[in-house]
Amino acid sequence: MVFKRFFNLPNTVTIFFTVLFVANILLLIFGGKISYEIEDVFRINTFTVLIWSVVTFFGAVISRYASSYLTGFKFHTKFMLMCTGFTLSVMVFIMSNHVISFLGSWLVMGIFMAKLIGVDSRWGEAKEASKVAQRFFFTGSAFLSTGVLLLSFHSNQLTIDGIIAQVNTLPYYVTLIASIFIILAALVQSAIYPFHRWLLSAMTSPTPASALMHAGFVNGSGILLALFATLLFSSNTLSLLFIIGGLTAIVAQFTKLLQVNVKQKLACSTIAQMGFMIMQCGLGFFNAAIAHLILHGFYKAYLFLSSGEEIKQSIPQKPLELKIKPLQAVLVLIFGALGALLFVTLTGKGASLDNSIFLTLIVSITVGQATYNIVKEKSLSTLQKLVVPPVLFIAGIGVYALFYNGVTLLMADLPMAVVPLQITTVEIIFGIIFLVGFFIMKLGFYRNIPWLYVKLLNVSQPYKKTILKYKNS
Amino acid sequence: MINNNIKTSIATASKVIGNTWPLYSFVTSNPLSGYETSTFTEATKQASKHLGARVFPKAHVFKQAWDNNEIDKYELSKLLKENGLKKSPETYISKLTCYKEKTSENPFHVLDVIMTKWLAAFMDEGLAEWQMPNKTKGFYKSWRQLAKYDNDVSIKRTNDLPKTKEEALNTVLNGISEEDYTNIFKLHIAALPGWTGYINHRNQYDTVWQNTYPIDLEDYLAVRLSIASNLGIDINSILTNKPECDSVLQLQLIFLKAWEKTLQNTIVELVDTSKSEKKTNKTIETVDAQLVFCIDTRSELIRRHVEAKGNYQTYGYAGFFGIAMDYQDLKEGINRKSCPPILNSAYKVTEKPQAGKEEAVNRLEIKNDRDTFWNYFFRRMKNMLPSGFGFVEGTGVFYGLLMIARTLVPSKLYAVKKKTAQNHEAICETHCEPVTPTVGYHSMTLDEKVAIVKSGFDLMGWKTFAPLIVFTGHGSHTANNPFGSSLDCGACAASPGRHNARLLAKLANDNEVRAALSYKYNISIPNNTVFIGAEHNTTTDEIVLFDSQIPVSHNSLVADLKASLVEAQKTASQQRLGMVEKSITTANKKANSWSETRPEWGLAKNAAFIIGSRELTKGKDLDGRSFLHSYDWEMDKEGKALEGIMQGPMVVTQWINNHYYFSTVDNETFGGGTKITQNITGKFGVLQGNGGDLRMGLPLQSVNKTDTEMYHQPLRLSVLIHAPLERVNTILLNNEHLKSLLDNEWIYLMVMDANDKNTVKRYSKNMNWTWPTKEKKERKARPSTKEEFEKELA
Repeated sequence: MVFKRFFNLPNTVTIFFTVLFVANILLLIFGGKISYEIEDVFRINTFTVLIWSVVTFFGAVISRYASSYLTGFKFHTKFMLMCTGFTLSVMVFIMSNHVISFLGSWLVMGIFMAKLIGVDSRWGEAKEASKVAQRFFFTGSAFLSTGVLLLSFHSNQLTIDGIIAQVNTLPYYVTLIASIFIILAALVQSAIYPFHRWLLSAMTSPTPASALMHAGFVNGSGILLALFATLLFSSNTLSLLFIIGGLTAIVAQFTKLLQVNVKQKLACSTIAQMGFMIMQCGLGFFNAAIAHLILHGFYKAYLFLSSGEEIKQSIPQKPLELKIKPLQAVLVLIFGALGALLFVTLTGKGASLDNSIFLTLIVSITVGQATYNIVKEKSLSTLQKLVVPPVLFIAGIGVYALFYNGVTLLMADLPMAVVPLQITTVEIIFGIIFLVGFFIMKLGFYRNIPWLYVKLLNVSQPYKKTILKYKNS
Repeated sequence: MINNNIKTSIATASKVIGNTWPLYSFVTSNPLSGYETSTFTEATKQASKHLGARVFPKAHVFKQAWDNNEIDKYELSKLLKENGLKKSPETYISKLTCYKEKTSENPFHVLDVIMTKWLAAFMDEGLAEWQMPNKTKGFYKSWRQLAKYDNDVSIKRTNDLPKTKEEALNTVLNGISEEDYTNIFKLHIAALPGWTGYINHRNQYDTVWQNTYPIDLEDYLAVRLSIASNLGIDINSILTNKPECDSVLQLQLIFLKAWEKTLQNTIVELVDTSKSEKKTNKTIETVDAQLVFCIDTRSELIRRHVEAKGNYQTYGYAGFFGIAMDYQDLKEGINRKSCPPILNSAYKVTEKPQAGKEEAVNRLEIKNDRDTFWNYFFRRMKNMLPSGFGFVEGTGVFYGLLMIARTLVPSKLYAVKKKTAQNHEAICETHCEPVTPTVGYHSMTLDEKVAIVKSGFDLMGWKTFAPLIVFTGHGSHTANNPFGSSLDCGACAASPGRHNARLLAKLANDNEVRAALSYKYNISIPNNTVFIGAEHNTTTDEIVLFDSQIPVSHNSLVADLKASLVEAQKTASQQRLGMVEKSITTANKKANSWSETRPEWGLAKNAAFIIGSRELTKGKDLDGRSFLHSYDWEMDKEGKALEGIMQGPMVVTQWINNHYYFSTVDNETFGGGTKITQNITGKFGVLQGNGGDLRMGLPLQSVNKTDTEMYHQPLRLSVLIHAPLERVNTILLNNEHLKSLLDNEWIYLMVMDANDKNTVKRYSKNMNWTWPTKEKKERKARPSTKEEFEKELA
């Protein structure tokens, strides 16, 4: 009896992923340099094991969560099987070298995710949402296949490694077209405008599936782009990534501000974060992008799993006024600069005048913003105002740097994971746009533009057929 | 000017919906409250017509009840026969479904979707940092300003729309006959009953959000009908919801009644046997403590277990302890109602430092300010550009670690949470001021204090005073649960009842109050009696005493009581969770696990309300199905106390019971749907999936064991009162509302007639009574074999 209770499907899945996770972590720590190949089909290197660790971690946490959360759900078993299938297909994708398994696992990943969105087959709107997502994922797969097969055809190579090795010998128009298709596939996966609607219509999936989607599916794009870093360099499409990513990051962050449903709010935040990650790719920091997608996975999965905590009685509040005393402003500047210095020292970014200065600037402003809020708070003593900001930014930057350096180390196998580029006008102009966005937000100008409110509201609505389409009769 | 006819029609039409309560103070009320003046049968017919709702349990639920012997064969056959249905009960079980349930396309799909977009944006209570512009002008005007930017409709200029909602309604109704108004309004109000119910709620309780950002049904209809006319949708289309076929409805009602009758028979048998048992006559010397619990069904279990642990007496009293008050908490300064919503709050209660604890309170207040600041800080960092990105990178690892901890060791985290929680009860005391409409401050008068304390003892029929008297409010502790407040005290408008309990204890400890009680009313409370406020945590069955101000003389008594309460928690949780080992750990885990969708069962299974002395039920396992109110008919000569109980607690229990009933029979329409796909909106409600209508009731996980297996048995409340029949009759004749609840079969009433050898009598329509005990004799002679049974039926 005890035996039977313990070895039900949800527990088995949890144990399975936990074991895999532990094995992967052990391999990362004690495995030294990892490099296995299975014919031409699969290759497993340190990067593979890194992503496997992350994927199995989410697989374990989410199946454990789901085993109690979904108790009594008619499709509990189906759900667990889909989750397992999804997670395994991600793992296969990561280790795929052969074009067929690479494209096939990407497609299967999407099929499983679409099935999870419509897992409750009694529910008409969920089925509609599932169809929408499936259509997007098929499109994404078609983009990816076009790009990869084009390269494969022109380079006469059937493996990803083979293609990458040949990239520089291919004609420019081939690499350019292939890059664009691969970028399009990435945009679909990350729900970047104009491919964002599937994600905003995907709330019919049970909460743990949303966590999996936001921590393990949308960031497939980052992995994809990192794998094809060489191609993107040679086709000169990094600036394109940078602009798309940057714009998305800004617009989605504004869109997030007006969301009234918690899951859509989280989805807009995900889109913004994916934009930021793609921007990091565009700057040539694929390692930073991978670090970001993993950290964002932790962050967003947590927020989805705890999304039932948003009920709270409150009273209408006016936006706070922006006022700062000169001495406080000085403190903000000093800590902002110290934060930047610490970041540069610990991560090695921004030391020379290249693109990474952009990332350093963001860290610096973040530290400044944190300090600004803290020094203005009346309930804190002067000593606390002086001590708390450094404690926070040292902890935050320190832990990040540790993580970032770890990821960089583990990505050493990947060609061109970090190639800082010299700053060009594009980056400078965009840097200015970014700062303008920051000030508009900070000063609250946007509140006075009703037109913008309605446009962003409409663009972030789910598909109509996924809401209130059916009625009981 | 708005046509008066329109106003009247809206008022009439609004009866099709009830009140949707915000989830931060989720009162379980009757979703069909607009129809309470009609019979249950008529009301359910209307609801089924307008809302397309199911109003009786599904066939498989009846089947489950039948298989579990919850429907007595004898009662069922009798009812079937009375209705001219002559075959055996089994034959009819298969006939409870007349057609397969199916879904069809929503005729107002596009219109509904556009409306929900604007309603959710307008009614948001702080989830969005960027609020819909011009909200202070009201819903219609603020929508009008934005309509021209919305490409879901084709409105070119703002001036194409009338300036006010009144003009807008006049415009869209132009050319439609006034007789049709009510039907049109009904149709459109019922199209989104959750949202319109929330509009109802905001207006009825005049909330602070409503004051700042007004919206009413006129606004709603003006916007909706304007959009409809812009999109060329016929607003006067014919209702498409067809009610379930009549023959099945009748059959379902028969099955329901038989099920309810079966339960009533069980209750009657139970109190009958109590009567014959020897009463235990405990003198005051042997009672160490008396504990008063809420009438809540969950109190029944814990009372039984506390009583078994020593010389303890327990009482049942409405959990707001008779104080019609609002409570303002120390941390956020938000005013919350802390008494039944049917009462107007007469008092406002705040926290004041206990003597000598000012410094500690000061520190706590600073800490609270800091907590508020950090919440704001994190929200701000997440929302702003570009800190949102830096924040994720700096905190990601910590979120990952927290995720592991919350998944693996929720009960350990619960222990940490309890340890570090700042309990202001230890350093503060309640301070009560009347809420007066007139200008000027005055504090609570002695008469008011005395009246509150006295009425408690009156209602409960209190005779003797033990050295410790504990007023136990109750609250639930759950994590990641949007419906947390639905598990709190229903009598306190879905707040925990601890503050009412603390205040009553404080008033009863007041020497002036005691003196006045003694010389005015001859109620003498011994000097050595101490009153203590407490809280029963219904998720873990722990009882916490707020004993920071008790005299040293009572320390050892309190220590003994605490030890007993720990024992009671252990055995109560063992029984409730059906496990012997680690029941408390399991309960703690349920309380704090973020993946737990059924942390406790709340008031599920409620079916009866027993008003009378504890002797009627003591030692009986009522399976947590019964509300219990203490009452002694001998001490209530004029029947005032009973009238109060019937006007207040009985009505509140009816609300709760009807809410559970409807949430169970149609969880999609009247309930909240399944928790696993809920999406919180505006900090006050939930939607399903991508959006749509606001959900108005309890989630599936509060009433069902699984998607298909019931937990709550959907039965109307059966009230049993121990008192003279004439007294009950007089009260009913003086309270038309109560009589109509009975005549319309929203609840059942039984009286254990104290003037007629405690015979139990059952109310049937128009002040007629029947005698179940007579029925019982009839029943004893019933055929015992199947053959005999069939013979009799034939």
